Amino acid sequence: MADALRLTHTSAMILQAIAAGHIYGYTVMEVTGLPSGTVYPALRRLERDQLIRSQWERQSTADAALRPPRKYYKLTRSGEVTLEASRKRYPLLAKLVPTEEVQDA
Amino acid sequence: MTSEWLHCSILRAASLLAPSDQRDEWLNDWRSELWYIPRQGATQFCLGAFRDALWLRRNNASSVKQNGMHLESPLSCLAFLATLAAMAIFIVVCLSGPLKHIPSYSGVRARDLPAGCIAMLVFSCLLLPVTLAMGRATANRHPTPWPSTVRRGIFLAVKIALVQPIILCGFIVWILIAPMALFGPFAICGTWILALRWVFTDQRRRCPVCLRLLTHPVRIGTPSETFLEWYGAESTCSRGHGLLHTSEMSDSYSRRAQWLSLDGSWSGLFPVAFRGRQS
Repeated sequence: MADALRLTHTSAMILQAIAAGHIYGYTVMEVTGLPSGTVYPALRRLERDQLIRSQWERQSTADAALRPPRKYYKLTRSGEVTLEASRKRYPLLAKLVPTEEVQDA
Repeated sequence: MTSEWLHCSILRAASLLAPSDQRDEWLNDWRSELWYIPRQGATQFCLGAFRDALWLRRNNASSVKQNGMHLESPLSCLAFLATLAAMAIFIVVCLSGPLKHIPSYSGVRARDLPAGCIAMLVFSCLLLPVTLAMGRATANRHPTPWPSTVRRGIFLAVKIALVQPIILCGFIVWILIAPMALFGPFAICGTWILALRWVFTDQRRRCPVCLRLLTHPVRIGTPSETFLEWYGAESTCSRGHGLLHTSEMSDSYSRRAQWLSLDGSWSGLFPVAFRGRQS
């Protein structure tokens, strides 16, 4: 429990969105309803705190789809632990941004 | 086409706020995201870039090192300020002619310049108690030697003195540009406060022993873990005199920046600096 960080509700929502499979900045914006001026700095902050890590997709993949490459985000191990703690702290989090399992059910 | 140009312009303008070493990457990031945004929400999306760029600038640990690179040594800092002050004095002497045509300032002459500088210096000295209040607390049992304290005081005094002609120059240029502007005095006061603020901030970023700018800022802790822990930045003296811990959030146990002196047992980490100290 000592390893779990205390996140703000906004950060927890963003973390939950990434865990739910919304791995791009814009899709996080869409699913959370937060503006770009909130989401992108929050993503940088979460990455700085090593809760998520970002990676650019391969240029060849983007070229094949005739679009620019995108940066996508993944939860780190400590991000998963923190998200789990945040779900206990904010019980409605899973309902606000449902994961794929919840959606299927 | 026009909206694309507008969006690119907004992003380009916002990129000026981002640190220069990360600007291109930041711009690529936002441009690639913009490609996926529906046209009706793109302007709103781009306006958020300003906040992101500001965040990046405020949290860029390398900026201190890069901005202060040329002024790292105390001598180069004083030389830079002295050059600026000399240029300012030259400009003021050249402008004293045009100043005679302004009724309120017709009596001002070049020989009044030293008196003007001294008057501004006296006003600046009124801020010294504030400086003392913002002083650095020592975090260990090794106090800074008194010659270093004296040297630091002299360095601060010389910096404050050298800034005065520069501010006075700005004051006179402002009178010539907008003599009737109502907000002129406020602009001058603002510039004055900013200049003095820079002097004090620069002082706090220097090693109290060798007066060189502290380097290699490293972020410690995380903002989410504030209970019984601090988070902020740790900067190092390149000569190995100590470490400065600057808390990002003021609290009861880390209200001021904490200076931690390093003794000879750390010489292995700073071999060149310690060799220089011994010689």
